[in-house]
Amino acid sequence: MYFKGAGGANTKRHLWGWALPSSTSTGFIASKSGALICCRGRLSSTVFTSIRTSGSGIRCRRRLRMSINAAATESLQRGIAEFYDKSSGVWEDIWGDHMHHGFYEPESDASLSDHRAAQIRMIEESLRFASLSDDSLKKPKSIVDVGCGIGGSSRYLARKYGANCQGITLSPVQAQRARELATVQGLADKVSFQVADALNQPFPDGQFDLVWSMESGEHMPDKTKFVNELARVAAPGGTIIIVTWCHRDLSPSEESLRPEEKALLNKICNAYYLPAWCSTADYVKLLQSLSLEDIKAADWSQYVAPFWPAVIKSALTWKGITSLLRSGWKTIRGAFAMPLMIKGYKKGLIKFAIITCRKPA
Amino acid sequence: MRLLTHNMLSSNIKGVTNGFPLRIEVEKMVEKEVELNMDFLKNMFAKVEWRALVEASRSMGYSELPDEADSSMLDSDEFLRKFHHALLELHLEEGALVCPETGRKFPVNKGIPNMLLHEDEV
Repeated sequence: MYFKGAGGANTKRHLWGWALPSSTSTGFIASKSGALICCRGRLSSTVFTSIRTSGSGIRCRRRLRMSINAAATESLQRGIAEFYDKSSGVWEDIWGDHMHHGFYEPESDASLSDHRAAQIRMIEESLRFASLSDDSLKKPKSIVDVGCGIGGSSRYLARKYGANCQGITLSPVQAQRARELATVQGLADKVSFQVADALNQPFPDGQFDLVWSMESGEHMPDKTKFVNELARVAAPGGTIIIVTWCHRDLSPSEESLRPEEKALLNKICNAYYLPAWCSTADYVKLLQSLSLEDIKAADWSQYVAPFWPAVIKSALTWKGITSLLRSGWKTIRGAFAMPLMIKGYKKGLIKFAIITCRKPA
Repeated sequence: MRLLTHNMLSSNIKGVTNGFPLRIEVEKMVEKEVELNMDFLKNMFAKVEWRALVEASRSMGYSELPDEADSSMLDSDEFLRKFHHALLELHLEEGALVCPETGRKFPVNKGIPNMLLHEDEV
């Protein structure tokens, strides 16, 4: 997300809800353009004037720490919350209670009927990658689901391990729905949900044997703080699992992505309230800097590639179209961004990554 | 919100050194019956901050928990039932969780606590 923030003058106008980036290659802001369009002028220009840019030639750590002020963060949070408040119902209606990619055989032709099994497989493969144990003494007893959506992972993990699971989400609508589903599924004793910020988790240190972040990292404007919080709330000996979209690793001679790559990511960011992208290598460096152990990372792009065409197919059904039309502009814009995701994957720009590690005992 | 959840929440407002436990303000509470699961209770016992649970359950109108507890008490059915009841069956539906240092109230609506911080608290 590469805007030069200086009031209205340098900020390009918006076309059909996609912000066009300025030519600068540095500086990060929370994606506000979507909120601008949809809030119909409710947003003031102060968001842009108060954004600082980082200079060019920035090092990895500074690149990950966005220079955005608290007002912009709160605005991003509202945008994310609203996006999920509005689109959650549509998603659940068509895709069920897991709001993450399915794990497929590469090159397979996935259809809607396969998706639930694939979404569950994604959870299981992630646990396996992290070498999590089923053993009754070693299995996790206390789990946090960071960016829990409507609680699909929380309920699955609580059921699987007989563990207690706390889920956090910015969306009050999702938290309520998550709670309803837990009650209906007889899991209200084991899972509970809070509206909270992953960058300021409302838990004391060292609470959780398993810290789970399934496709929520993309929404975090400050990856350093995000990872710090994951590590902080992990219990000694606990496991951290991050499954997230990243951009390709930069080569040693590169300071940043190419302009056309940034432009593509920009468009996607606006539609999904994604404030910043980093690479898998960036995550690994962050985890290393916190002295976490047994760090593993993998590129799972090939296993999720069949997902987006399947989503598009479902969106183009009668049910899909009518649901989208009922759910409002932000959801529709999210739907329009799906071909951009496919383009990003095909170009090797967007990676679906898993990164896991352990907190020292 | 169950008291198990309350036992895991703390105030992380900037500058607060000890934001645990949060005080409970009850506007509406309900009791929900939940099946007792011994393994789950034993696992949770190891993680629970006992004094905080006792105080929290008293603020919800339940005073049956002993002031102190150790794991040998898990052999007693009666203790298990009381522990189970306090931990999982008392629900705060409407009210607030209050930061012990700043007095800031985190609202609880329809059983869901909202722990989001304001701009100046981060």
